Amino acid sequence: MYINDHPLLESEFLEEITFFYEGKQLIAKSGQTVAAALMGNGIKVFGVSRKLQQPRGVFCANGRCCSCFVTIDGLDHTLSCMTRIEEGMQVFFNGGDPVVGRGGSGI
Amino acid sequence: MEFELVIIGGGPAGLMAALTAAEKGVKTAIVEESFALGGQLRQQAQVLENLPKEFGKQSGIALAKFFSNKVSSIGVTALLGHTMIGTYRNGTIGVSNGKDTFPIYAKKILVTTGAAEQAALFPGWTLPGVMTIGAAQILLNRERVLPGKEAVVLGCNSISYDIAKQLRACGVNVQGIIEKKSIDEIDKELIEKFESENIEVFFHSNIEKAAGKQHVEKVWIDNDVLKKEREIDLVCISNGLYPVTEPLELLDCEFTYIENLGGRIPKYGSSFTTSNSSVYVAGNAAGITCIEGILVTASIAVTGILEDLAILNNIEAKKQKEILWTELLKAETGRYSKVHDARISLVNDFLPKEI
Ligand SMILES: Cc1cc2nc3c(=O)[nH]c(=O)nc-3n(C[C@H](O)[C@H](O)[C@H](O)COP(=O)(O)OP(=O)(O)OC[C@H]3O[C@@H](n4cnc5c(N)ncnc54)[C@H](O)[C@@H]3O)c2cc1C
Ligand code: FES
Repeated sequence: MYINDHPLLESEFLEEITFFYEGKQLIAKSGQTVAAALMGNGIKVFGVSRKLQQPRGVFCANGRCCSCFVTIDGLDHTLSCMTRIEEGMQVFFNGGDPVVGRGGSGI
Repeated sequence: MEFELVIIGGGPAGLMAALTAAEKGVKTAIVEESFALGGQLRQQAQVLENLPKEFGKQSGIALAKFFSNKVSSIGVTALLGHTMIGTYRNGTIGVSNGKDTFPIYAKKILVTTGAAEQAALFPGWTLPGVMTIGAAQILLNRERVLPGKEAVVLGCNSISYDIAKQLRACGVNVQGIIEKKSIDEIDKELIEKFESENIEVFFHSNIEKAAGKQHVEKVWIDNDVLKKEREIDLVCISNGLYPVTEPLELLDCEFTYIENLGGRIPKYGSSFTTSNSSVYVAGNAAGITCIEGILVTASIAVTGILEDLAILNNIEAKKQKEILWTELLKAETGRYSKVHDARISLVNDFLPKEI
């Protein structure tokens, strides 16, 4: 949930921007990170862990723990807490290891 | 790119140093991994009470803004979204913005990469909704997003006090603070502060486990007598900080382990020079301390750098360092006196390498 009237901070006017999560159009505030934009829309689970496929989301919000990976505009394993949300961004759930290969075909 | 001074990390220590150096005409750059200056001050809504006189009393957020404005008006080059990721064979630092990697030549390097939060392990600690208390504060105050509605906090300390209050002000129900230690091991004044805010602290307690289908829904508090199950959607871990030192490792600085300074840290001398004579360290990267300590260590390191660059002569530099070390002693009294003692013995043991 976005905090519109923050009791401790000056109110700021932040422009609303739209982005897509799993193809669905959502609204964020400009200047937010992708992680915050997702949390602001009630999304807490951003992906699954590599081995045991357990749910993962924000843990440190500081780029240190790698728990918040998502796919952004085609790039797998991007840290959502260190990336700013942008108009039209396509964000996807991190379903596991990305396909890495030399030939571009995943082999 | 070529600079006289390159500062790695644009938090309070790095910014303080950049300002002082630039005022003396040193061509300075800050390399900062995130997309804004201010470091961990950027989400600190609480008023910082004991800042050096010239700053008065202001919130961390206000101080971050003050520093960033000043630094950009004085002509410091700020490379935002840039991380120091390595060194070239000749010692030049390598910086990446995610797309390009390039060298930056610097006569002197100051590492002010700050600290990171320690995790605490219990079954279920990786579930979404379990996060560090700093992450909750970032979501709340930087991002203006509620991290949850019903919370418990693990760890009774001054940071969890400030942030528990902020969470509550924003409408999060803080059900209580869970603390492993017994009541007589915790600072009385701190306990009174929690009491006066009506925030319950469970001493001699721990989180036995956390559970939930997709994200955290329940915790079990093990407190000797009662094993209590609670419905929550947020668990905040406040388990202390450790210095962030990767750039110092890349720069071949010698390390040591000192519990009272937060763990593994670089060895340094009385000007905060490391074993690599062109590399300095300051702020929480040089040992976990209070905000005053963070700013003063940066001032000492800059004095050393100005001396090395022959902008200050030895006599002036010595005089300034003496004043600053007295200030540091004053900043690190009481709760931080163990930090200061550890720092002094580290500095006394420091023998610069023969060149
Ligand atoms: C999440 C969090 C919350 C905190 N909250 C509080 C609080 O409420 N109260 C309190 O008293 N203390 C708090 N602290 C402690 C904090 O360390 C200090 O308050 C203070 O900000 C430290 O100042 P600094 O300048 O040493 O480092 P920081 O403020 O941490 O700044 C270091 C900067 O270096 C950058 N950096 C790191 N590595 C690299 C690299 N390789 N290349 C480029 N840039 C890099 C970081 O992005 C950061 O901006 C918190 C710490 C964290 C991590
Ligand atoms: S939440 Fe830890 S790296 Fe993003």
